Amino acid sequence: MKLVSIELTNFRQFLGTQHFALATTEGRNVSLLFGANGAGKTTLLNAFTWALYGEMSQDVEEQVRIANDSAWRATRIGDSLDVSVTVTFEHEGHSFKAQRHAAIRKASEAQTRVTPDIQLWITENGESRLSDAPQRKIDSVLPKQLSRFFFFNGERIDKLVHRKAYAEVKQDIKTLLGLEQVERALEHLPKVERKFSNELRKLGGERAADIQGQIETQQDRLGQLRTSLQRELDEIAALTEDREGVVDLLRQHSEAGPLQRQLDEAETALVDARRMRDRHEAERMQVIATKGFLAFSGVLADRSSELAAELHQRGSLPAPIKREFVDSILEARKCICDTDLLPGSRALLAVEGWREKAGLAEVEGAWQRLSGQVSNLRDARAELRTRIQTLTGDVTSDRASIDRLEGQVSELREMVRQLPLEEVSRLEGRRQDLQSQIDTHNGHLGVVRRDVADAETQIEQLRGQLRAAEVGDEQAQTAKRRMELVQTVEETLKQILEIRSADMKQRLDTKVKAVFAKITVKPFYPELNDDFELSLLQRHEDGAILPVPKSTGENQILSLSFVAAVSELAREVSAERAREEGVHQDWGTYPIVMDAAFGSLDLNYQREVSRALAEMAPQMVVLVSKSQGQGQVLAELKPYVNHLGVIVSHSTNTAQDSETIELLGRDFPYIRTGADSNWAELLEVTNDSR
Amino acid sequence: MSESPTDRTEAEIIASLSPEARVLLKRVLEIERGRLHLSAADTSAIEDIHTAVRGVLP
Repeated sequence: MKLVSIELTNFRQFLGTQHFALATTEGRNVSLLFGANGAGKTTLLNAFTWALYGEMSQDVEEQVRIANDSAWRATRIGDSLDVSVTVTFEHEGHSFKAQRHAAIRKASEAQTRVTPDIQLWITENGESRLSDAPQRKIDSVLPKQLSRFFFFNGERIDKLVHRKAYAEVKQDIKTLLGLEQVERALEHLPKVERKFSNELRKLGGERAADIQGQIETQQDRLGQLRTSLQRELDEIAALTEDREGVVDLLRQHSEAGPLQRQLDEAETALVDARRMRDRHEAERMQVIATKGFLAFSGVLADRSSELAAELHQRGSLPAPIKREFVDSILEARKCICDTDLLPGSRALLAVEGWREKAGLAEVEGAWQRLSGQVSNLRDARAELRTRIQTLTGDVTSDRASIDRLEGQVSELREMVRQLPLEEVSRLEGRRQDLQSQIDTHNGHLGVVRRDVADAETQIEQLRGQLRAAEVGDEQAQTAKRRMELVQTVEETLKQILEIRSADMKQRLDTKVKAVFAKITVKPFYPELNDDFELSLLQRHEDGAILPVPKSTGENQILSLSFVAAVSELAREVSAERAREEGVHQDWGTYPIVMDAAFGSLDLNYQREVSRALAEMAPQMVVLVSKSQGQGQVLAELKPYVNHLGVIVSHSTNTAQDSETIELLGRDFPYIRTGADSNWAELLEVTNDSR
Repeated sequence: MSESPTDRTEAEIIASLSPEARVLLKRVLEIERGRLHLSAADTSAIEDIHTAVRGVLP
């Protein structure tokens, strides 16, 4: 999706028809607009989403008043006022013009809620047509739930990655990264399977149909369990968010803070120690499972060695002469001393006697190999003993560390709780209560997970029975084969989802880290866990990794990094799918329209963010105030700016002086006081404009 | 010990499928991708997938 222009008619602050071009050129992908506080930057941001979806963000006040106040007052009672926003854009080789419009009939001075209509013109090969399903088409270009990643207020973007929003964000990311269609297929395929099992039942495949009925029962059970699982996870996420909030307050408390930080370190060390213990125990179990048999091989090795020694002592091993040699002499009927071995002769009898004593080369060869392996067996056994002793020592040491750290954590918690400060005591009590609730839900979660695993095992076993079940006629067999085909595709998609989820999570984590590292000057780094939850961490000198209590600015940068990483990864995925599946490459490629990009950031961060902005998306529309956008920010962005503009604020206020803004070496209006009415004007600034 | 799906790549998993399964897999993903803009509660994909299966195994 590439924005070409936006046009507003009597929309909120914007009086009359205002137009702004947004198209990009090679190397210049930024449209930068300046506007004073209240000029209309947030309104312009919301104009995009109002045009595309009929909605504005929750922070916009007085949403009923969509008509410009001056234009509304000038409209007579009984007459209508046209209000519209038109967004033109390109996507998948077509041009689109989306216009949301309301002809508002004035019944009184107060504005009332209106239901605007939407029209969408699609131009292809020079011909335009009106879409029959404009909203559906717009949603197919950029689904509404994804729009928050691409149209947002920079000062509120941290809510995008707030823990409580994770469930929604996770789902939206899955759509962008090509995972949602797999998940939907996994919801729909069992229902398709049921259709075929009903057909099978009707065709008389009783046994197969009966087994399929049991599969469906288990699938229903699995569906309910998964809903319970998600409910538990959501509850744990919300409680964890609350607990982190309480712990943050404790960290910031002047007296409890130092103790809380020690507690953080001890708890992190405890988690690491438990992880290490689990790893050593698993390794020990693995060694025993794969090499444990060696422990019982001692007698075998010793006895084999004794037997070999006896044979050696008797002269049987190594044999002084090989049977193959004796056989060759007997066949030749002549000894190596040239004596003929005639039938019945003493020489023949003597040689035949040697044959009994001679050793087979094969046996000797096998014995040589075996004796080597007996030696290896002894070495492996000794190595096993050493390895198990080492691992057991590690586990014992880990357990001792865990005991010590648990004691430390308990003591520190008690010290925090006993601080003679009511506020701290209250916070600690709240933290404990939240932790207790989290532990309870974790317990439930464990049970549900076990039940899910059980249901999945049952389904797998029943499917095995189904494959083995015989059916009668050809039609029933076809129904059965169709059912099995659907099951195969379902199993394959489960594996694909697991692979893609792991791949996407890892790639997204890498990108978030890379974008964040370009912006921040502090030794922090973001980390994305398997549930696509984002946290900010710091590695301390002693190697401890601890969560960082984030400032508002750091939250904003973290969220910006996340959005930029999602945007970049969506484009990569889109390009990969275009190559592999013939999907058009534009899907997954979106602009970013951002208000208040630098709102909560200090000067250092403003410079770094502005440097990274141009690379965040193929097209950027950035709305800033004069105090934020000039200076370093403008200097960093200027090489990438294709459209420069001002949202001029016309004000009836006469107490203040008008204000200008210097751009391209000249002054342009910024705030114009003493106007007839209050309204906003979109002014594109070029070298020719005044 | 059973093989984890992440021990194989997506391409290897798909290559191990029968030709009918590969065709159906591709068709299922096309059907679902074409409906992403619809609510998750929409079930029109089910009928289309059912028809696709009958097309692969007539």
